[in-house]
Amino acid sequence: MGSDKAVQSAGKAGTLSEEDKVFLQGVVERDRAEHHGRLSYMDIMFELEHHYGNSLPGAVLGEVARLVGAPASQLNGFVTFYTMLSTEPRGQHVVRVCTSGPCHVTGAPSIVAELKRLLGVGLGETTSDGMFTLEASSCLGICGVSPALMIDDDAYGNLTPEDLPRILDAKRAGGAQ
Amino acid sequence: MKLFSTQIIVPVDSNSVLQGALEVKHVLEEMIGKYNLGSQISVVETGALGIYDQGVVLAVFPDDVYYGNVMPSDVEEIVTEHLLKGRVVSRLTIDRSLSSKRLVEKETGKSQQKIVLRNAGLIDPQSIDEYIARDGYGALAKALAMQSGEVIQVLTDSKLQGRGGAGFPTGLKWGMVAKEQSDEKYIVCNADEGEPGTFKDRLILEGDPHSIVEAMTIAGYATGAHVGIVYVRGEYFMSIARLKKAIKDATEYGLLGKDILGTGFQFDIEVYRGGGAYVCGEEFALLESIENKRGTPRNKPPFPPQQGLFGKPTVVNNVETFANVPPILLNGSDWFKSFGTPSSAGTKVFSLSGDIVNRGIVEAPLGITLRELIYDFGGGVKGGKHIGFIQTGGSAGTVLTEKYLDTPLDFASMKTSNVSIGSGVILVASEDVPLLPFLEEVAHFFWHESCGKCTPCREGTLQVKAIMESLANRTADPDTLKRLGRLLNTLSNTSFCGLGQAAPLAFESALRNFPEVFDQALAESHVPEACQEEA
Repeated sequence: MGSDKAVQSAGKAGTLSEEDKVFLQGVVERDRAEHHGRLSYMDIMFELEHHYGNSLPGAVLGEVARLVGAPASQLNGFVTFYTMLSTEPRGQHVVRVCTSGPCHVTGAPSIVAELKRLLGVGLGETTSDGMFTLEASSCLGICGVSPALMIDDDAYGNLTPEDLPRILDAKRAGGAQ
Repeated sequence: MKLFSTQIIVPVDSNSVLQGALEVKHVLEEMIGKYNLGSQISVVETGALGIYDQGVVLAVFPDDVYYGNVMPSDVEEIVTEHLLKGRVVSRLTIDRSLSSKRLVEKETGKSQQKIVLRNAGLIDPQSIDEYIARDGYGALAKALAMQSGEVIQVLTDSKLQGRGGAGFPTGLKWGMVAKEQSDEKYIVCNADEGEPGTFKDRLILEGDPHSIVEAMTIAGYATGAHVGIVYVRGEYFMSIARLKKAIKDATEYGLLGKDILGTGFQFDIEVYRGGGAYVCGEEFALLESIENKRGTPRNKPPFPPQQGLFGKPTVVNNVETFANVPPILLNGSDWFKSFGTPSSAGTKVFSLSGDIVNRGIVEAPLGITLRELIYDFGGGVKGGKHIGFIQTGGSAGTVLTEKYLDTPLDFASMKTSNVSIGSGVILVASEDVPLLPFLEEVAHFFWHESCGKCTPCREGTLQVKAIMESLANRTADPDTLKRLGRLLNTLSNTSFCGLGQAAPLAFESALRNFPEVFDQALAESHVPEACQEEA
């Protein structure tokens, strides 16, 4: 869906096209139908985040607020609370590396250090080519194969620092999802 | 129905997929086609077996042969040797079947007791027919033929307690909701499994999603609710997909929807997703999140059974709690109480992680000891090393020494022996893992996950983090431990919700059980010129 828009992180103030508005209305209506007349902001935001290149531009949030009849501030409060959602532009791929207890014990610190070195960024930062954003995560729920990370929707486990270049290269070669 | 002479079971879940289970399954199907065995051999995808250190596992029935660490390149050999010629490929066999059960039974006479995981790894989780063939929806039919009060009485008699961490009696909770007069009531399943080291709910949802659908429907009937909501962690894609399919299939079979099994009872279930917030495991924060708000806790009382989702009476139960309900209704409360200890009936699903030989999921009667879990089921510490420390219950759980290996684990063990059971996390760290950097990470976790609503937790977790950093970096001042003790006390006594109240557990227990580690850090500390307390 919307691969042509994957790197269009629309900016905070960007204006929306008619096409965008029709798309947003469709997303909201589909969600309303799925939840029997209620809405799940989370489902809506996940879909929009995919569509708009891993972040939620302010103009998009404004239009969604209008469509669902909520103040934009409330929507902004919602989005900024949950770590899987972002209002800041992120890279084409979001790398979420787990740093919590079970991963820590089995080597997460060396995984984090190698990711920082390979990508040349710190936690919370995006590579200069806009390809990867590196984030720390509080448990991904796959502690049976720790240390673990996720890139976008794909999980990787039993990691060693030596595995990382291959994983990143494969994602890089896959281009925008 | 087509009959096959041989079945090959491939466990496919989030963990095994990472080890290549789908590739192996794909090659297996290709090879079965290539050798023209399609009419005799069926390949069945199941949920987790619960063990992850054997790579991709294939089980061949009725031969009862288990292959481990199977690579796609091994598959042709298994097909040509075993399936065509009947010669077991011994270089790939593993001497342990479902979650190390066979090995453990052989060597120690101990076996897992599977109530919650009765179907995981045995049936195709995406097939409602296979669930029904294993008595699935039989408990619902039985419940619908009873008075709703009788259903609750069976649960109350069974002494089932909540498996999410707090251990509240389930029958009592359902009874409170049943008593409320309201036009609407809700059944909510807490599947926002976020406690680091817990991955049991994921395996239940991936391995046996219909058990949750059935149990929630029973809860709806017992309490007078018609809407169920499962709140699942955002990262659990496979859980969400399998649950949605289970809901769809159950609706088509008349087991959900307007007129369930022709009784006139109506119940529907929806799936909502989490967004990566640990605090949403707290029941009120979870309900706020379903209401499209920031996931922050509410004041108690009123509790959810009085005013829960959208202000209506609401049952909130953990996935594992629900999974216990159908077997209890089918087999009776006395049967359930025959497992466990006098204070805690039934089994618990434990998640074994860290430096342990067999990481994975074990279901055992409550009252099992850490030694049995770590050594009999877990196979001991990796590399034959000694235990450095054990954390039980999760990040919000106790940090223990080997001294505690023989403490029985049940819902009373926190009170009786300062060992928390929480959500069933058993995290083992070998002697090579330094304690203070680990605690620094735990402190970072709570600081990051504090929702910020109340001051003790928002500011307190920040200060705990700063103190743990100073101890790990050897820049702590001599008064540090006194300050830490006061801070932990404040956190547990004045935080608004369970997150802040339970955050001190790890640090308090570490101070109690490893005082020498803290003393050494203080002795080695040099307070820098600039005040180290600034965070």
